[in-house]
Amino acid sequence: MTDIIQKAAMALSAGLMLLGLVGMGIVEILVGAPYSPAPITNEAGDVVATPLISPQIRTGIVLAGIAVLGLYAAYAIVTPLADDEKAGHETVAD
Amino acid sequence: MSYQSGNPLVDDVEFALDGPWAAYWIAFLRVATGWWFFHAGITKIIENGLSFTYGPAYMQGMTDTVLGGIPVWMGNNLAWLIEPGVPLFETLIGLALIAGAFTRLAAFGGVIFMVLFWVGNAGFGHGLVNSDFMGLMLFVTVIMLSAGRYYGLDALIEKLSFVQANPKLRYLLG
Repeated sequence: MTDIIQKAAMALSAGLMLLGLVGMGIVEILVGAPYSPAPITNEAGDVVATPLISPQIRTGIVLAGIAVLGLYAAYAIVTPLADDEKAGHETVAD
Repeated sequence: MSYQSGNPLVDDVEFALDGPWAAYWIAFLRVATGWWFFHAGITKIIENGLSFTYGPAYMQGMTDTVLGGIPVWMGNNLAWLIEPGVPLFETLIGLALIAGAFTRLAAFGGVIFMVLFWVGNAGFGHGLVNSDFMGLMLFVTVIMLSAGRYYGLDALIEKLSFVQANPKLRYLLG
C-alpha cells in the first residue's frame, strides 16, 4: 500500500511540475511570442503581446506538484514504519 | 551504528542514493535544468536564427573579471563561433539533459556557460551565491551524480558493447 502511494506521489508530483514547466512551456513556444510567461511591451510601455497561459496558472501547477511532495512527506511521518524498514539503509563497510 | 562515516544518520533518517526518491529527484533536476537551457536556446533560434549578435558584445563587455582578457578576446575574435554557438549549444545541452544522453559532456558545456554568466553578469549585490551560481551548481550536481543514468538514455547507452569496451566513455555519459 505504501509502495503504491509512493509511486502515485512520484508520478503526480513529477507530472504536475513537468506540466507547468515543460509541457506548458512547449505550448507557449509553439503558439509564438512571448515565449516566456511575461508580456511583451513596446517602448511606450504598452503591452503588445501576452502569454497564452498566465504565469499564475503555471506557477500554481508547479507549486501543486511540490505540495504533493509535502503531503507525501507528512504521510510518511505519520505512517508507522514496516518491520523491514526499521533497519534503515544497509551500507556495506569498505 | 552506521557504517557510513559521512552520514551518521544513514540508519535513522535516510536519503539513500540508490533509493527511489533519490532517482526520482536526480532525474527531475536533470530534466528541469535541461528545459531551462533548451528554452533559452530554442527561443533565440526562433527569434534570431543562428546569429546571436548579443553574445560577442556581451563578452566584449566582460572586462575586469577573474578570467582576465580571455572573454574580451573571445568576443573580439570568436564572433563567428559565439553567434551561432550560444543558441545552438544551449539548445543541444538542453536536449541532451532532457533525454539524459551524453549527460556529463552536455552538463560540462552548461558549466562553461554558467561560469561566464556568473562572472559576466556579476550580480553580486546580495552576495556571491546568486541564481547564476545556483545554475552552475546544478550542472555540477548533474555531473557528480551521473544524472543521465536515472530515467535517462545514458543508462542504456552505457550498456552498449562499444562503451563496455571503452569504459572511460562513462566520464562523458552518465
